[in-house]
Amino acid sequence: MNTIDDAALVEALRQQMTKSVARQVAASGNLANVDTPNYKAVEPSFADALKGQLQMTATRANHINPANPNTSGMREIKDAVARRDGNTVELDRELLTMQRANGDFAAAQTALAAKFKLVRYAISESK
Amino acid sequence: MATLSSAINAAASALSVERTRIEAAVSNLANAESTRSVNGQPYRRRDVVLRAEPVEGFDAALGRSAATGVKVAAIVEDQSEYRRRYEPSHPDADKDGFVSLPNVDAPQEMVDMVGAARAYQANLAAIGIIREMVQKALELGKG
Repeated sequence: MNTIDDAALVEALRQQMTKSVARQVAASGNLANVDTPNYKAVEPSFADALKGQLQMTATRANHINPANPNTSGMREIKDAVARRDGNTVELDRELLTMQRANGDFAAAQTALAAKFKLVRYAISESK
Repeated sequence: MATLSSAINAAASALSVERTRIEAAVSNLANAESTRSVNGQPYRRRDVVLRAEPVEGFDAALGRSAATGVKVAAIVEDQSEYRRRYEPSHPDADKDGFVSLPNVDAPQEMVDMVGAARAYQANLAAIGIIREMVQKALELGKG
């Protein structure tokens, strides 16, 4: 008997892909600012993003201002060492992050493609 | 909402900024001996000032862009003192025989140029990685 729900599996893979994209976006932003003075390297914070989603958002001027306006889900990388110009980007760390995110994304995509193949097989009545 | 296209835009903004830095370094090197610029004074070395800026797009309009690009904030002239060289035969020499030469330091320009070239390469590599991801995502629609 199949105890793992198809929809739950697809959703989990989708989340892994979304997270990889978020990591990729943060790393490419850091890489772009490798020479910007005082730029602080960021990474996605999924806990912050969740908090941002759960909190109410001011969509009109007369709404009560939400306490935490940070809904971008990014936070500065902790214990990153700053260079003399105050910049905390490390070239190799960012490229490594990107390669890792790429690998995670590819893994999820492969699993998802295999899943879809089975679904297609079922739809076409195993022809 | 973080999207791969905003990541590519961020990397692309860095490419154009790094190219500007290389251009500035090259024009500084080219004018290392220019004793007369447009205003009649010796050339002053130019410095590129960078600023982090959220990439443009739909998300930026909503004020929640995730990717941070980079932009040239200004190109400023270095106001440090001119180099002076004793060369009485030079047409721009002062009464003591000294010529004011641009405040360009060749080794510094070379280091800047190498740094900018490396950053350019890194961002090019980043675009390659993102493109791989996009292609991988598109494969889901095949078959």
